Amino acid sequence: MAIKGTLKKSRLENLLAVLNKSHRVIGPKAEDGAVVMAEIGYKDIPSGVRDLQWPGGCRLLPGKDSQVFSFSPGPDSFKRFLHPPVSELFAFKRNGAKIDFLPAPKISERPMAFFAVRPCDLSALKLYDKIFLGGPVADQAYESLRRGSLVVALNCLYPGNNCFCLSMGTGPEARDGFDIQMTELEDSFLLEDGSAKGAEILEQLPLGQAGADEISAKRQRIESCKAAFKKSIAAQELPGMIYANLDHPHWEDIARRDLECGNCTQVCPTCFCNTSYDYAALGGIAAGGAVSGKRLRKWDSCFSRSFARVHSGNFRFSRKARYRHWMAHKLAYTQAQFGLPGCVGCGRCITWCPAGIDITAELEALRHV
Amino acid sequence: MYDRARPFAARVRWAKKETRDTSTFALWIEDEAIRRQYTFSPGQFNMLSVPGIGEAAISISSGPEDGPLLHTIRVAGNVTSAISGICASNIVGMRGPFGNGWPMQEVEGKRLIVIAGGLGMAPLRPVVRHLIKSGMGHGTDERPVLIYGARSPRDILFRHEFQSFGRLFDVHITVDKADPHEHWKGRTGLIPPILEEIPLHGPGTIAFLCGPEVMMKCLINEFMLRGMPAEQIFLSLERNMNCAMGTCGHCMFGPKFVCKDGPVFRYSEVRQFMAVQEI
Repeated sequence: MAIKGTLKKSRLENLLAVLNKSHRVIGPKAEDGAVVMAEIGYKDIPSGVRDLQWPGGCRLLPGKDSQVFSFSPGPDSFKRFLHPPVSELFAFKRNGAKIDFLPAPKISERPMAFFAVRPCDLSALKLYDKIFLGGPVADQAYESLRRGSLVVALNCLYPGNNCFCLSMGTGPEARDGFDIQMTELEDSFLLEDGSAKGAEILEQLPLGQAGADEISAKRQRIESCKAAFKKSIAAQELPGMIYANLDHPHWEDIARRDLECGNCTQVCPTCFCNTSYDYAALGGIAAGGAVSGKRLRKWDSCFSRSFARVHSGNFRFSRKARYRHWMAHKLAYTQAQFGLPGCVGCGRCITWCPAGIDITAELEALRHV
Repeated sequence: MYDRARPFAARVRWAKKETRDTSTFALWIEDEAIRRQYTFSPGQFNMLSVPGIGEAAISISSGPEDGPLLHTIRVAGNVTSAISGICASNIVGMRGPFGNGWPMQEVEGKRLIVIAGGLGMAPLRPVVRHLIKSGMGHGTDERPVLIYGARSPRDILFRHEFQSFGRLFDVHITVDKADPHEHWKGRTGLIPPILEEIPLHGPGTIAFLCGPEVMMKCLINEFMLRGMPAEQIFLSLERNMNCAMGTCGHCMFGPKFVCKDGPVFRYSEVRQFMAVQEI
């Protein structure tokens, strides 16, 4: 039995309190001039904060909106928490002629509840589950963080300037992959469950009756959001348009503007590439030399020059090849690898590209010779 | 099933120098439970690590029926240098086996042409040994073919074994160049001219290639010109391997993860990407 109900805006604190009983709440917070994701309490929610995003920039705007969630997705996503920038895979300990490889310590903290996850990020999360849990063997580091986690989705009512999820088919409305979905209405939130765990949480809240008015208000708000999109991508022509243009001269043109900073890969919620490496210290790392070293895994970027290097050379030596690889992975390869789109239309790579390179415009440019 | 992300200890039973820069290491899995579960097929690889230095993808160069688990390693980077410095009875880390391996089931009833360049002989040696030991390929009308090219006579790997390979295979060895003092009496030159001399009979032939990509591209051209179907040509690719489980992205070749979708690919599957530079 699906649960639906309204929660007065003044009661939003209750939702966070219920989540917080069993979970660490990871949600939006205004910090350093952007809306980031962090472990938050109710007071951290940047209620009414507006932001302006454009190719190559983002500013939080002065003044307050009457809505609670009036900002677009910031540079962070669940990725930072489920696939941390650095994590430990195992430790090794040398003991005379013996070497032991010890499993990474178990995570003892409470599981995470992701609060106000946008529909674009729900799609990215679904892809992450496929990548890290869908193989013959589940990735243990990811699994231990993902297990027990909760997802509270937030339907988007205003597209940011760089958002194009509508054309990508991933938003602005949440369809699946959440435990609870929220829609902000005039003076309340419409809450709907998406799983048994979500229903259990909703039962603990002082929900008001959600009637036909609320349902139609939700529909209306989402429809007006859809009408307000400024950006779109030719998703119906993917992946063919990439595969047919791997030798297009436009890649050269992008390479002249591309700074290879890797920002796009860091903010992209579907970019998962990483490198594992050994971290060792003289005399061992832990107290008393309990371990001699660790294998760590850190985020990497296909823009880094060593990414595809082997002893005999670099398979993607030119900047053009590295950019093409990234964009082709987003718009074509991921679909072939995991059956899901590799781009979710969040527009982060456009906002946080210091050169303002716009993936939707670059794809369009491939039409012209 | 044992953990694939965390290495287990493997002891170096013996090491043998093959050439000036390449050695073969016989490894023994220390943990008995893992040793019992561990099985592999020709063409698969292990991730070998030296704790504190790092990890490298190394093909298994012994056959599944052989006793010791062999790895033939050329000193190239920091990990292979570190491994080459490890003496018998010491320990390395091992994860694996990974990759798909050669499609041995497709060899049945067909004439196999095995072509290796340089270190490419390491992942193909298990194929040759498996065919000899299992009796596969004995029944076909024509003998299977093994063509091997090395840089120079002193770079020939497994040099004392080709005579025994010759009992089943029609063996051809060539070197790029030979100095006079090496007294090389064999063939010099590249591999494609040898392939030109070998009769091919379309669908009844299957080819396994491993070596530098430029060599494989030349050979594929030759095969295709002579009407060999792209579905019957298999090649093993080399890429930067880091996690070996399709979650790090380093080994991508177009949309393929070389570590889990490969390293062996049917040419018809990767043809469109082989034609693109720096894919």
